[in-house]
Amino acid sequence: MDAREGGPPEGLLVVGVDIGNSTTEACLAVVAPDGSITYLGTDLTRTTGVKGTPDNTEGALKAIRGALARAGRSAGQVETVLLNEATPVISGLAMETITETIITESTMIGHNPTTPGGEGLGVGTTRSIGELGEQQPGEPVVCVVPHGWDFDDVAATLNAAVAAGVDVVAAILAGDDAVLVTNRLARPIPVVDEVSAVEKVPLGMLAAVEVAAPGRTIRTLSNSYGLATVFGLDPVQTRQVSPVARALTGNRSAVVVRTPTGDVTDRRIPVGELVLHGAGKTLRVDVDAGAEAIMEVVGRAQPLDDARGEPGTHVGGMLAQVRDTMADVMDIAGQPDVPVSEIAIRDVLAVDTFVPAEVRGGLAGEVALENAVALAAMVRTSRSRMQLVADLVSEGLGAAAEIGGVEGEMAVGGALTTPGVDRPIAVLDLGGGSTDAALLTREGECTAVHVAGAGELVTKLIDSELALGDREVAEGVKWYPLGKVESFFHLRHEDGTVEFVDQPLPPHVFARVVVLTPDGPSPVPTRHGLDHVRRVRREAKRRVFVVNALRALRQVAPGGNLRALEFVVLLGGSALDFEIPDMIADALAPHGIVCGTGNVLGTEGPRNAVASGLVRAHAALLAAEVQ
Amino acid sequence: MTEPGPRPAVLVYRHPGTPAALLRQVCAGVEEEGVPTDVTEVPGPDDATALAHAAAGESRLGVGIGLDAAGAAAVHHGTLPERTPVVATPAQSLSSDWRRVGRIAARVVKHLPLV
Repeated sequence: MDAREGGPPEGLLVVGVDIGNSTTEACLAVVAPDGSITYLGTDLTRTTGVKGTPDNTEGALKAIRGALARAGRSAGQVETVLLNEATPVISGLAMETITETIITESTMIGHNPTTPGGEGLGVGTTRSIGELGEQQPGEPVVCVVPHGWDFDDVAATLNAAVAAGVDVVAAILAGDDAVLVTNRLARPIPVVDEVSAVEKVPLGMLAAVEVAAPGRTIRTLSNSYGLATVFGLDPVQTRQVSPVARALTGNRSAVVVRTPTGDVTDRRIPVGELVLHGAGKTLRVDVDAGAEAIMEVVGRAQPLDDARGEPGTHVGGMLAQVRDTMADVMDIAGQPDVPVSEIAIRDVLAVDTFVPAEVRGGLAGEVALENAVALAAMVRTSRSRMQLVADLVSEGLGAAAEIGGVEGEMAVGGALTTPGVDRPIAVLDLGGGSTDAALLTREGECTAVHVAGAGELVTKLIDSELALGDREVAEGVKWYPLGKVESFFHLRHEDGTVEFVDQPLPPHVFARVVVLTPDGPSPVPTRHGLDHVRRVRREAKRRVFVVNALRALRQVAPGGNLRALEFVVLLGGSALDFEIPDMIADALAPHGIVCGTGNVLGTEGPRNAVASGLVRAHAALLAAEVQ
Repeated sequence: MTEPGPRPAVLVYRHPGTPAALLRQVCAGVEEEGVPTDVTEVPGPDDATALAHAAAGESRLGVGIGLDAAGAAAVHHGTLPERTPVVATPAQSLSSDWRRVGRIAARVVKHLPLV
């Protein structure tokens, strides 16, 4: 195997180069006149610029030089550089909420301060603490305390009012003082604190404050009939306030204020219809119907010629947004712009999701979980400029460079170097923007498909479902296992094992859910527990990669029958994920398929398949010429 | 001695010169989280971190707070090296920072994120 043992192998020095969306890989080999290949070395670097543009040259040269250096060869010895013909697809993402909770006239405060005070239910009229002295005895009062009041003063004022006969039944505080105040009261009452927009609480209105015992959730204000009882509502009004009850479910404390014109609406936003053209048919599906219904219709319109959204609706806007982004990517300086109308969407993946959104009109940053749908779309482009990249590489290296072959076919060729596989072989390339499948039959025929949705969509789902608002953190949650820091010296992994550390863990990760990066634990900014974060992560991966693996393999499998496949090899960046390959293997196992992560050349893992496939294809060509 | 020993509490070691407002807000921060405090006047070192470390060593909960004469504050845990407190605030902090010192001490006891 080693080229330096027994003198260098005879033949031509060639380099296969695969420029991907995120990484550029090179494979250096000597090809003998009979077509036999001796692999000398590989290299991997970050792709420079957008795939398929002249900016790629720098990364390609770096990878080539890296592989040469490892093999102890010089650029002058290279006979040919082989570049991939980039997969002619680019993909885009859009997400839109389809429900929205709006509180008009501020009727509820449903937030969960970590430390409310007292417990029980208090119903009375809202009065500012400043007016408490003027209050007539007898009428029940809910006291509202603005910012700037000290806890001792609040307690003293309330105690004085109660002593004077005022029936104070509950309190709403701006600051984080509920426990301090209740500890100083002569008569205990429920107190809700940390109401940041306390000045918006309407005064002189009937209000109910409920605080549950520690470890319990409220019982009355989260129950529609409880609200009807407290406020004396008729059936029509009860129907109107039922969204309030639903929004308060699971809270330890809550405030509901009844205002004459108050209203909470839980409205469904008209999302519109998705119009799919394909297989000689035009099919329509309401996006409201959910991901499963959409994907069923997409399946019937396969192969898709184009997808459009009803103009003036959400889905119309979402697809227009995807088209615009893609037009920008495809535009080339010095050439006429790509007309947006000519960009045809060739595949769509719909995923049901939810987005924690701040309730409009809330007083304390209340959050409601809104339903949403995420769409990944993919278009074909004819404007790949790999030939230009090849010319630039040739110039930079001083060796010939050519386009060696189509990505899908080359990937299969490279995957065949994985120990233990044979034809018929299917590869699944789990990328960033699209999931690609290719099948090589026993007879040597190759078919390839690309479906929309891959790693980027997983990151986006994790980001929005955990309300992280930070793509980098979401990437961390996707890539690394979770743990919970349980003390300054030990952390519990997501599988339950506990690890003791020698050096104290920093205070900013104390008691937090963390992702275990190579640089140490990094906190996930969420109030959710480890199990919830883990579930969101795994569900996002399943809904994108497992769904797409089955979808793509059905499209390449003979007769759409997964049983006709024998070996499935997983490739691409996401094949390095710590759980995605297992999830896909589990989903394929019932179909009698051998599935696993590729090990290209027996050493490279799921990397370098296309680059080494380029070398193999070139060698086969040379051998054919000799004969 | 028939006494059952000190009750589990966050120990607060204060220098005799500690400003009263600082002590009040720090204790309020611990109380709001529902954790008891015991305040002791320590005439020894006028250094918040050293006082906090000594208090944490004595506390049956392993958590101590140190307050110095200038108004600096620190929270310590019994397992940590003396020079790396959980948190330390300089003199001339805001009263909300003082409250936060107390809250963090209580949250170390309760094993909650330190916010």
